[in-house]
Amino acid sequence: MPRWGMVIDLDRCIGCGACVVACQAENNVPINTEDVYHQRRAIAWIRLERYWEGEYPNIKARYIPVPCMQCTNAPCEPVCPVYATYHTNEGINMQVYNRCIGTRYCAVNCHWHVRFFNFWEPKWPDSLKNQLNPDVTVRSRGVMEKCNFCVHRLVKAEQKAKTEKRSLRTDEVTTACAQACPTSAIVFGDLDDPNSAVSKLLAQAEQEGRVYRLLEDLGTDPKVYYLKKIDLEAAEHAATH
Amino acid sequence: PVFNTNDWVYGRDAWFATAAPPDQGGYGLIVRVFEGRAKKVDGNPDFPGIHGKSDARAQALVQELYHPDRLSGARRATSRGSGQFQTIPWDSALQEVAQILREVGGEHAVLITGRLNASQAAIVAAFRKATGIRQAVLEPDEFVVLRTAIRRLFGVSTLPIPDLANARFLLNFSADFLHGWIAPVALAHAYGEFRQGKPGQRGLYYHVGPRLSGTAANADRWFPIIPGSEGLVALAIAQVLSTEGKAPQDRLDPYLTALGLDATRLASDYAPERVAPATGLSAEQIRELAHALVEHQPAVVIAGTSAAAATNGLFNLVATFGLNWILGSVNQPGGLLLNPEPPLPDLRVPDDAILSLRGWTELFEQIRSGTISTVLVYRANPVYALPSASGAREALQAAKHVVSFSPFLDETTTLADLVLPDQAWLEQWGLSVPDPGPGFAAVAIQQPVVAPFLDARAFGDVLLDLLRLLGQDQPWSTQEQATKALALQLRSLGRGSVTATNDKEFLVTLQARGGWWDEQSRATGSAPSTAAVQPREPAFAGEQNQFPYVLHPYPLPSLGYGELAHLPWLQGLPEPISTNVWQTWIEVSQATADELGLQTGDLVRVLTPQGVAELPVYVNPATQPGIIAIPFGQGHTAYTRYAEGRGVNPATLVAPETEPDTGTFAWAATRCRIEKTGRRARLARFEGMVPAFQLEEFPIVRVMAPKA
Repeated sequence: MPRWGMVIDLDRCIGCGACVVACQAENNVPINTEDVYHQRRAIAWIRLERYWEGEYPNIKARYIPVPCMQCTNAPCEPVCPVYATYHTNEGINMQVYNRCIGTRYCAVNCHWHVRFFNFWEPKWPDSLKNQLNPDVTVRSRGVMEKCNFCVHRLVKAEQKAKTEKRSLRTDEVTTACAQACPTSAIVFGDLDDPNSAVSKLLAQAEQEGRVYRLLEDLGTDPKVYYLKKIDLEAAEHAATH
Repeated sequence: PVFNTNDWVYGRDAWFATAAPPDQGGYGLIVRVFEGRAKKVDGNPDFPGIHGKSDARAQALVQELYHPDRLSGARRATSRGSGQFQTIPWDSALQEVAQILREVGGEHAVLITGRLNASQAAIVAAFRKATGIRQAVLEPDEFVVLRTAIRRLFGVSTLPIPDLANARFLLNFSADFLHGWIAPVALAHAYGEFRQGKPGQRGLYYHVGPRLSGTAANADRWFPIIPGSEGLVALAIAQVLSTEGKAPQDRLDPYLTALGLDATRLASDYAPERVAPATGLSAEQIRELAHALVEHQPAVVIAGTSAAAATNGLFNLVATFGLNWILGSVNQPGGLLLNPEPPLPDLRVPDDAILSLRGWTELFEQIRSGTISTVLVYRANPVYALPSASGAREALQAAKHVVSFSPFLDETTTLADLVLPDQAWLEQWGLSVPDPGPGFAAVAIQQPVVAPFLDARAFGDVLLDLLRLLGQDQPWSTQEQATKALALQLRSLGRGSVTATNDKEFLVTLQARGGWWDEQSRATGSAPSTAAVQPREPAFAGEQNQFPYVLHPYPLPSLGYGELAHLPWLQGLPEPISTNVWQTWIEVSQATADELGLQTGDLVRVLTPQGVAELPVYVNPATQPGIIAIPFGQGHTAYTRYAEGRGVNPATLVAPETEPDTGTFAWAATRCRIEKTGRRARLARFEGMVPAFQLEEFPIVRVMAPKA
């Protein structure tokens, strides 16, 4: 059984946002209108954060794409009173939309801010509804939603493999963000398959001392791994960088 | 193409290969179609240079297809400029246009287009030949400068592409090459390989430019300079390489020839110490750049965006791109790869059809004076894109007939008498020659991935119908037939990636793979034999004592110069540095904000010699003091519910300065001042939705030094 994970190489990421729009297209994420931004309620299953470091002229803008970390010990799961948020056997932190009652406890308990609440019924002009992905539920008002590693793609690939009486091939399936990412900064795959691109990438990056996870010290064991950005002046910065 | 109705019945996915629009790179795409509806766009994994990758603009093509404000059916204006139209039968509309052309004659008409794909270019060429109509192509003026510089420096008419994947050092002068510019997907993919594609070898990237753009933020070092001084920095780099004996004479000669210099003058007039004050860099920094170029080989130099939009834009590009001659990087692995001409001569838009601002101003004068009475416009929006001094609006108002083929009611189409809406890109046939290509000949095939969603007709079909109504010979009956006929000419070349025993097999293979390419077909180019341009310092409109800041516009990664403002996914995609969305803002430095007592969200009045606008402030800690940056993209007065009435078009603020050699619009050559209004505005942005600070003990974005 696969254990899905993701590696994001921050030295390759250019902050273009292809992952963000690819995810919106794939997962029927509502349009983030100007009003939504004013209300600080934009929904982005994968978002691109920008951090400043230093002061002009020695200033740097740094990018980091942030999807759900798919924590092994996910803090969002035990607080759900109705078991709408749960863990699959393949390590994905899932949201059952028709079980969710909108308490938003999970969002409060998520340190990465990757859970989004539908404060309104999502709206698209009729013609734009033609684009909606039939494999993905359109979430209604009052429920949480979040990145699920494009689970519908995983299920479809697994069903296909089953029909063809074989096991899933290495790197046969990927997420929408990884597929679009023009620099191949995002790589998705089975962490337990030593031949998968993620495993190879992690093994190599471990040797180089580049691997870390966001807020790793909280002990939630995220399955999204980041590879440190290379910076010529890093030695002059604090040791933790 | 979609022709099998079973696709609708089975409930299975179908994937069709097609091509991106020419202004997005024209590369190969694949589109997921389910039950007759396009669902998702991705890069074609087979197509050279992009490796199955795409960008936000390609993803949003489905929103063009299913846009709620797309025009359906031919229509006639109730009165010119009212924005109100009546739907009329297509046949009547075609008859009317044919009658107009018959009455006025081709010599009194002009066909204004945006960038055309290759089969459209062939159809337009046939239409021109038959009717005598003049063609004028509108593309951002920075590319006109770029094409001129490349032609004069390297003797080729196509754009070059840096071989980043094999380079060890990239020196970029202001080009926003990762987020727009000429080939964002191919260059972004190559950038990933440049950084981490080879174990133990990481490419180094230095950025020289006035603004820390989304692209510049990725650089290992950013060298902020005075706007428009890119060429001077490059000359000083050449001087260092020359005087330190690091530029062999045979490599230096083409550079000196291109700039009309000799080695003595280069050594005396462009020493780093002499040039440095005009650039904002120190002499030591210039030497550091020069030394980095020779220490990390192979190295490649590129330049563009605001560097091309200065009054000395052509000099900037010639002096910067010319460094590739000195480095021996032209057409070398890891250097600057020149691209060959399209494999068939018909697939190319003639260079003289691409107009600069000067050319547009002359054309609009001819329209105003009545020499040209009829204007046909296809997917170009000169009323929005060109400064008002060009006279575009007045010319269209004065024209006797204006016919638009735009699928949306943009500012130009609003002034039309007749609208014959074009199909969406995903509904059309076509051949596309990516410009720049991947370093060798490549053609993508564009095919309909869905049945037409609305009552629209492909532009090529309409032109061919007009030829029929005018009693002229039709080289092809439809855009589809033109595409297939031209594709079969590729077969007759007897080379390339698609081989077949008969025509049908060739076409089917071409459609399945998404294109044809020939890695052996490469450009050789030639060194300049005469001076391409003289060294020149930048000039700015407005006196410095009245207008103390330089207004520095920049194209948005998502919306470009405003041509994509109608797509809501792209409107909602944060600008990578400010994270602002859906509007126009100005970026001021922390020093300027402190001096004037400004905060993010304060509404200020921006005054230039050309105009005035009220805009919210974004305090950008990476902005140079002395510069006010402003994004292009908004300020539409029409162009669908998602674009209309948002923000300000910087083209209304900048003076119509031109680059003297090419006559192009120097949009980065205006000074401004700002005045407080005492009011505030809400700035829609992503920043602040989640904590936006690095944690001191556990930084979010961790960095490490490169391994020795």
